[in-house]
Parts: sequence; C-alpha cells; structure tokens
Amino acid sequence: MKISPARISQLIFFVIFIYLFIVTDYRGKDEINLAINSFFRADLLVVVSHFLSTFSFNILLLPGYLMILTTVFLGRFFCGWICPLGSFLDFITIRIKKVAPLNFLKGKLKYYILFTLLFASVFNINFAGILDPIAIFIRFLTFLFYPILGYTVKSSWGYLYSLMGEKLETIEGIYSFIKLNLLPFRDTFYPLAFLSALMFIFIIFLERYEKRNWCKNLCPLGTLLGLFGRFSVFKRVPLRLCKDCKDCKDICPTAFDVEILNEENCIQCMDCRLKCKFKRAGFKITGFKWQLKNFSFDKRLFIYSSLSGFFFSKIFKAGQQNTKFLRPPGVVDEKDFLKKCVRCGECMKICLKNALYPAFMEGGLYSLYTPILIPRKGYCEYNCTLCGQVCPTKAIPELPVEVKKKKVIGIAHFDKNHCLPYAKKKNCIVCEEHCPVPDKAIKIREKTEKDYNGKDIILLEPYVDDKLCIGCGICEYVCPLEGKAGIEVFREAVK
Amino acid sequence: MKRRDFLKITGLVAASLSFKKDLFAENKSQIALAEGTDYEKITKNCLDALGGIGKFVKKGDTVVIKPNIGWDRKPEEAANTHPLVVKAIAEECLKAGARKVKVFDRTCNDPRRCYVNSGMSEVLSKIKGVELKYLDTEKFRKVKINGLFIKDWELYEEALNCDVYINVPVAKHHGLTGLTLALKNIMGIMGGNRGYIHREIEDALCDLNIARIPHLNVIDATRILLRNGPQGGGVKDVKVLNRVIASTDIVLSDALATTFFNLKPEDLKTTMRAYERKLGEINLSRARLIKV
Repeated sequence: MKISPARISQLIFFVIFIYLFIVTDYRGKDEINLAINSFFRADLLVVVSHFLSTFSFNILLLPGYLMILTTVFLGRFFCGWICPLGSFLDFITIRIKKVAPLNFLKGKLKYYILFTLLFASVFNINFAGILDPIAIFIRFLTFLFYPILGYTVKSSWGYLYSLMGEKLETIEGIYSFIKLNLLPFRDTFYPLAFLSALMFIFIIFLERYEKRNWCKNLCPLGTLLGLFGRFSVFKRVPLRLCKDCKDCKDICPTAFDVEILNEENCIQCMDCRLKCKFKRAGFKITGFKWQLKNFSFDKRLFIYSSLSGFFFSKIFKAGQQNTKFLRPPGVVDEKDFLKKCVRCGECMKICLKNALYPAFMEGGLYSLYTPILIPRKGYCEYNCTLCGQVCPTKAIPELPVEVKKKKVIGIAHFDKNHCLPYAKKKNCIVCEEHCPVPDKAIKIREKTEKDYNGKDIILLEPYVDDKLCIGCGICEYVCPLEGKAGIEVFREAVK
Repeated sequence: MKRRDFLKITGLVAASLSFKKDLFAENKSQIALAEGTDYEKITKNCLDALGGIGKFVKKGDTVVIKPNIGWDRKPEEAANTHPLVVKAIAEECLKAGARKVKVFDRTCNDPRRCYVNSGMSEVLSKIKGVELKYLDTEKFRKVKINGLFIKDWELYEEALNCDVYINVPVAKHHGLTGLTLALKNIMGIMGGNRGYIHREIEDALCDLNIARIPHLNVIDATRILLRNGPQGGGVKDVKVLNRVIASTDIVLSDALATTFFNLKPEDLKTTMRAYERKLGEINLSRARLIKV
C-alpha cells in the first residue's frame, strides 16, 4: 500500500495537535513557551471573523494571514494536510458504511452558514468559533473526552488501591507518571459536555452519507478556504473525469460530485494522482487566472446572509446580564470581548483551579461557550496568568503577574443571613484566611458578644474592603457552608 | 476508712504521681532550640540535641514528613515551611535507615504551584528516597475519632499508615487562632470540607492530634510571619529569626514558638485547650530547654 505525503502530514499534525492539547496545562512554569494555540492562530475563519468584527489586524494572527497567501497559491490544502478534524474523519471513515449523499446539503447551505457567521461578526458578535472545526474538536476533548478519561483511569486506580493498598507501591511510579503527564490534573466535569459531544458526534454521523461530508458541505472554515483556494495556481489535471475510467469519482474524498472538478472543494490530498492507473491524474502549476465564472454565490446569498447575520447578532441579545456573570481576569469591556472570543475552550482547559466554565444561556445565546468564572466551583489563582497566555486572539489579555493581580473581576459581598459569625454567632473566617491580597481584602472586626446560648464570646466578624478586593473568588470557593456560600462575588461597574 | 487503708491509698497515689513525673522528665518535657543562618545545620543540631533522629526512625521505616506547603508563596514570604528544614530532616531520616521518606500536604492554593513556588520541588527532587507527592483523592479514609467536636473525618491514609510521622509546621500569624503552629498543621492531612472545623477550632484540633499523634514536631521559625497570615504575601510582614525548635511534645513546641511572637503560651486558646486535654506541657519552666 502506498502512503501519500498528505497522509503523513496529517498524521504529524494530528500528533502535534494532541500533544499541544495535553500540554495545555501548568507544568511548573509561570510562562508557557510553546505556542499551544497555534492551530487557532493559523485558522482562517478565526482570522477573517476577527478582522470583520474588530476592523483591525492582530500580530498574533500572523500565521493566519500567511495562510491566506498560501491558500491563494496552493488551494485548500489545509483541509487535506493539516486540519485535525479532517484527519480524524479520514482515519475513521473507512469503518463507516455509506448510504446515498444527502441532497439538501448540496445547495448553497454552506455559503449561507459561512456568510451568516461573517456578517454577524460585522455586526459585532463573533459567532464563528461555535462552528469552527478545530474549536469543535478542542471542546469535545476538553469538556467531555479528557475529564472522562481522567475519571476512568483515576477511579480504576482508586479501586485497585482499595483492594490492594500499599502493595501497589511497586507500580505506583508508572501510574504517577501517566497521571502527571497524560491525565488531567484536576477532576472537573463541564456543564456543556453534552452539547460539545453532540456536535462532534453529529460530524462523525454525517460520514454515513458520504466521505468528508461535513468538510465539503457544511464546514465554514473549509468553505472559506475554498473561496480563497479557487484562485489557486496549483491545480489537479485533468479538470474532469476521464471518459474511460472515472475511478476518481470514488477515490476523491471531496471534489468530484459530478464530472467536473469542484475546484473549491479540492483539498489537494493527491490521492487521485497516487491511485491513477494510467498516470494521467496529476497536479500542475497553472497561470493565475482571475476567474469569477461559476462563482457559486450571488446577490441573493449576500442579502439573505447579511439579514440572518444581523438577526443572529441582535435577536439573542441578553437584556440584563446576571450580576454573577463574571469574566476571566483582565476582561474589561464585554462588547470587545464578544468581538474577539473564539470560544475555543483553551482558557477553560488550562485554568488551574477550574474557575472557568463555558457559558450556556447565562448571558443570552450570545455568550454560548464563552468562558465565565464560577467562584463556588473554582477560583482564580492569584499568581496565575495562564488564561491570558493561551487565548489565541487575546480576548483575555495577556498581562504581567503584577498587573493581573490588580485586575478586578468582581467584588465579594457577605450575605449576613448565611455567614456564620453574623447568622449563628460562631467564629469561622475561613475566607479571611484564604484571601490572597497581601493586606487582606477581607478584614476582621473583633466584638465581644453573647452567643445564642448566652455565653460570652469574642466574635470575629469579617467584612470586605472594596478598595482591595479583586473578586478572585477564593472566599466564595472555600466558604465552609454547605450549598450557598456566605460570601459571593458579584460583577461591579468598572472601578 | 481505716488508717492503714488511708496510708495505702496515699502511698499509691504518691507513688503513681512520682512515677508519672519521671515519665515527663525523661521523655516529654525536652525541647531543643537551635539558632543560626545555616538552616540545614541548625535543623540537624536540633535533632541531635534530642538524641538524634535514630531515636524515632529505625531501619526500613517509612517516614512521613508533613510540612506546611499550603500556599502559592515563595520561601521568603514565610507562608510555607522552609524547604531546607525539610531537606535536613529527610536526609537525617535516610541516614538513620529509613526506606522511604514521603513529603506532602493538602494545599490551599493549586498544589502544583505550591510545591514549585515553596521551593520544595527543587530542593527535594534531588534527594533519592524522598518522594514529594500530590495527594490522591482515593487515599482519604474515614476514621473514627470520637472526639469532643469531631466524631469521624476523612484523613490521609499514607499519613496514618507510616511508621514515623514528623510534623514540620512554620510559625506564623493566623486570623482565627492567633498563630498557626504544630497543632494546626494537622489540617493538612484532612479530607473533606475542613473549613468546617473553624467553628470549634480548639477542640477540633485536639481531637485530630489525638487521632494522629506526631512522633516528632519540628517548628520552622527561621523566618516568621507577623501579620496577614496564614498566607501573607508581603515581605514587610516577615521577621527573620533563624531559629528551629524540635520536641516530641506538641504543646510544648507551640508554647515555645508562641514566645517568639512576644506572646504568652496561654494567650493561644488552642495551645491552652490542648494542655487542658493533656496533649502536653504548656509551662516552659517545667520543661528542659536545650539550646544549641
């Protein structure tokens, strides 16, 4: 069996992708030197939607700008050589039995999807990440696959340990190595795991109908790459099926639905060249031609998708955002954040104390999959700046530690009906103990009082110094009350 | 009551009392205090003053050293036990023939950051036979305690199963208990919602320390945190003392460490309660202080 160079490239990039996913974690250093968000920074959909929503260039997205140039010359090679989701589909598609292609996908649906996303960006809401294939893959791994993998391995080990105890010591080294290097450090389950899995499984399910069904008929990134790639000077020849053979129709994963090559869909995998019995199929550099004939979109598409983009960007607007709707540290302007956030899940993957979770409906449909901080479940680590470091578009700004420590996420407030010293006249102040601000944003007032049994006690009543509080949420996280905490962080007007 | 009976009883009481006093004199009321800028050396001196670590660690033993590594702070910020103190103890244990020395703590901040920034990872990873371990959730076991406040609680199995348990806290300020010293360091092997015990902290700490009595307590007072504890974060709150103390008596250790903060041992309710519940001696004049 001959292995095509494209397949080797796919394998390499897939391994890189998984490796970068695993090392998206704290590994004993405050700074992460690897560009673990590389895939997003080279992602054309991210780049174009970012440009349309902010009307500015971002130096971090340079790989993406270069990708535009290479795509114009080499065509839609990203899909056939790099895209990890595409590679994944190629690896598994042989095992899925095919039925007839779905006709309703063959129209202009993919253009409507792409242009709706892009127009929504123009109207200030960057939705692109929700349907971005790499983001879909990362979110599936982060929110569902990885937590379950971690849970399964760790609980199996726990069960073994309960059976054998210290006898396991001999192989404990191997287990700890796996645990520390391959498994998630913390055991977090995410609220949107189900939806993330559904999107991913849906894409696999589509393989039932034809090869690379998602890629050629729906994927907005692929569609966009196709639009740039149609000008490619690097082309398959001949441009149509040979009358005497027609094998390419079966060999080609994407571009031969009909007799003529669909240039937008050709992913340059070169399988046809490799498998051609007559050595006729090949790839050649042709002259650059500004060809707009057969261009698959028209005025109607433009008008409709601009309307639907407008619709999506306005209709799901949240009236009043919940006051507990907290953004990651350093995010000041919500509007600006929504223009930039890719919803890729990288910040949530790396968040040390799992403070960040994907939003569902909390901030309106607008906020789907954007990161929010839920202090009762996890808090923002005072000396950590990782979320800003991994954010591919710097929707979460990358800040030096000293600056980040002063960024206000929210302000903590005591609920005197719950907080022990106030409600039960019992000492507690676990919150004050944990407050990371060196001069303590939670302070104590000493009071001599009678408790509810009539005994004289010295009661330590905590209160918040608003000038010092940064809303990291550790107080709410550690509050030892069961259920609702006696102290909660709320979003405040910017200080 | 006959005169003979009376004599018998008083005689017995007197005999038992004197016997008990002997016990105290020999084993309990010794405390070593060492001073100097070489933290490894003063720690070793402390141990030697008590008769050497060989008194506690036998060949083939598994030793657990439980320092305070609770916070994502650097050594100079005095929130965690100094890594060199831990290193010295670990090396002494290995020299005495310990099979393995385990070091761990249930941290308050992210364990990875705490272990790295406290300096523990760097210092301990170089020593063969010493394991600096993250806690595994599956190793917490519910233990019957039947104390005055705590009836049962999840404690860390490795801390319970070891042959020798050495308690190595750092001396620092604490908002609730005044100071946090050897008695409070036990919270690092607790599972569950440990903040719960803050509501009856004095009795709770006694209950726990009875359930897991340390074989030896070493208090790191090389630098102490005077304010804004237990986490600190400001070097202005730190005072350098260059002292280490060691004793088998946990109350006595706390009592002596308290005096470093210009407080009387009785000022700390936790120490006082532990004394009342007979965990050790609070009165420094009744102890033998060995200065090195």
